[in-house]
Amino acid sequence: MSEQQYSGLTGRIVKYAIHNSTDVYRLGFWVGLVSFIMITLFPFYWLLVLAVTPDNQLYQMGIVPENFNVGVFLTVVQEYPLHHYIFNSILIATITVIVCITLGSLAGYAFGRVDFPGKGPLLLLLLVISYFPGIAFLIPLFELLTGSLSILGTPTPDLYNTPWGMVFPFTMLSLPITIFILTTFYSQIPDGLEDAARVEGTTRLGALFRVIMPLSAPGVVTAAIIVFIGVYREFFFSFIMTDGSPENWAVLVYGILNFQQQHTQMYNMMAAASLIGIIPIAVLVILAQEHIVRGLTAGGLKE
Amino acid sequence: MRQKVQQAVSPVFLKIEQLDEDKYGYLLVAPVFLVLGVLAFYPLVRTFYFSLQDDDLTGVHPIGEFVGIENYVQILSGDANAILTSPFFDLQAPFSSALIVTLLITGVSVAIGTVLGLGMAIILNKEFKGRRYARTIVILPWSIPIVIQGMMFFLLFQPSLSPFVEPLANLGIFSANPLISSQDSTIIIILIDIWRKIPFIALIIMAGIASIDQNLYDVAEVAGATKWQQFRLITLPQIKPVLFIGMIFYTISSMKIYGIVEASAGCSTVPTLTCLVVQTFRQQRWATASAIAFLTAVVIGVIIMVYVVRFREADAS
Repeated sequence: MSEQQYSGLTGRIVKYAIHNSTDVYRLGFWVGLVSFIMITLFPFYWLLVLAVTPDNQLYQMGIVPENFNVGVFLTVVQEYPLHHYIFNSILIATITVIVCITLGSLAGYAFGRVDFPGKGPLLLLLLVISYFPGIAFLIPLFELLTGSLSILGTPTPDLYNTPWGMVFPFTMLSLPITIFILTTFYSQIPDGLEDAARVEGTTRLGALFRVIMPLSAPGVVTAAIIVFIGVYREFFFSFIMTDGSPENWAVLVYGILNFQQQHTQMYNMMAAASLIGIIPIAVLVILAQEHIVRGLTAGGLKE
Repeated sequence: MRQKVQQAVSPVFLKIEQLDEDKYGYLLVAPVFLVLGVLAFYPLVRTFYFSLQDDDLTGVHPIGEFVGIENYVQILSGDANAILTSPFFDLQAPFSSALIVTLLITGVSVAIGTVLGLGMAIILNKEFKGRRYARTIVILPWSIPIVIQGMMFFLLFQPSLSPFVEPLANLGIFSANPLISSQDSTIIIILIDIWRKIPFIALIIMAGIASIDQNLYDVAEVAGATKWQQFRLITLPQIKPVLFIGMIFYTISSMKIYGIVEASAGCSTVPTLTCLVVQTFRQQRWATASAIAFLTAVVIGVIIMVYVVRFREADAS
């Protein structure tokens, strides 16, 4: 009877599938994997095709490049200060990383290794910050950091168009995740190692910077990378805190947006500029994929 | 010189040494909370304070007199729509009212993105040759700058360049220039959001799957459970807490959506909540902008509450 049910081509496929279910799962696995990778990579591939297509051929381009105009990447950098914007982004991200790791290490140590009342509520308070949208901080921060607010008659310093105008908001946004990651890593160091250092006469703070931090180097690197990527990809405060010129510390956000506005039809150069902007992050992701995975999951699950 | 510094500093270190555990803990977290006090908690309180004042478009400082909840009343009743670049909530024009557009983007994106993220997590959790490279590739969309995420899809849907726009228009799915149509652009924004968030939620789910006790599967295998039964009866219940956390973060982040809009279709085409706040802020209407910002936070809060209640219910049954 079953022979009759499974007749024809479809029938034979169904029959095969039922009797060889592992093969079907394996097929499903590979189809799934390949689709995910293609969906992920297609926009990047399209950007590359667009970039290398000469501008007089843009209107008849397909999804396979017919000409390779590799020079476009040089032209973008020669005619437009893209490298200046990228440099600003990297510098501001680096400053933010240093500030966050320094402050976050102290707090991460306390949360991970010192027992004190009120630890839970304080950690919860950190979580509250990541809950609020950036717009809920925007106006007072703008007021505070652009010198529009006066405290006891002294106006606050005007940090608009300076790196600090962005470093402060970025620090605020990145500190919670830094602390969550560092707390996880610092709490995993065995007590014995710290005690040994203390017996040898190291101070408490000395033990943090000379014993705990080096031992949790992977954790510190993870936190640093997550903060760096977070700042490099940030849009909101980068967009608000400068007027958009690279001399005034405008970052990559403006590098891309200004180009879009100034050269409305130069689509191939827009694509090239975008690809160049991705390079620093792509390098980081390739080198530190494991750190990123660990950081995102450690930070995410702690919360 | 060095000695002098050491002499000056050593009593401080000595003091720190002598602190008891509690005080040492507070001392170490103090700098962080001092910084966050100024840069996070003070701004939150002040935003709320602003939202209770009147707009002052002529004064030196754009904040007028105390008006209580007047701003909120005007925004919610629609009376404020006349001064806003797009209405906060207007059922007559769903694709141009900020709250509806944002909720629509978030709802569709979270629903589709979570399912696809779950699929990706299951696939990337298997041992296979080249898994490292596959993971590296799939993290890329999440990690690249937001402005470039928007730019990519802006170029991908340029009618003069894209190989998709014409076929999609012929099928009647999109109009001839999707980036100037609110409805089409909302779909494009959803696509970008799903594309970039799948890796994020997949990584969180992967951590959940990795922590499941492998013995459960061995027992199920012996008992003759199919892969689908194993997924439904072991994997899904075990990763539920992680799934909820991932979805909450996904939701919060999609409710704030702004950068990809600004870099692709523009805020006048897809007016999300953050777009509306920034535009109102730029018009010097600080009080109204603050009120919308706080309403956004309230909406996000309500959504999280719904998640938590649903999670408790699911956990109890």
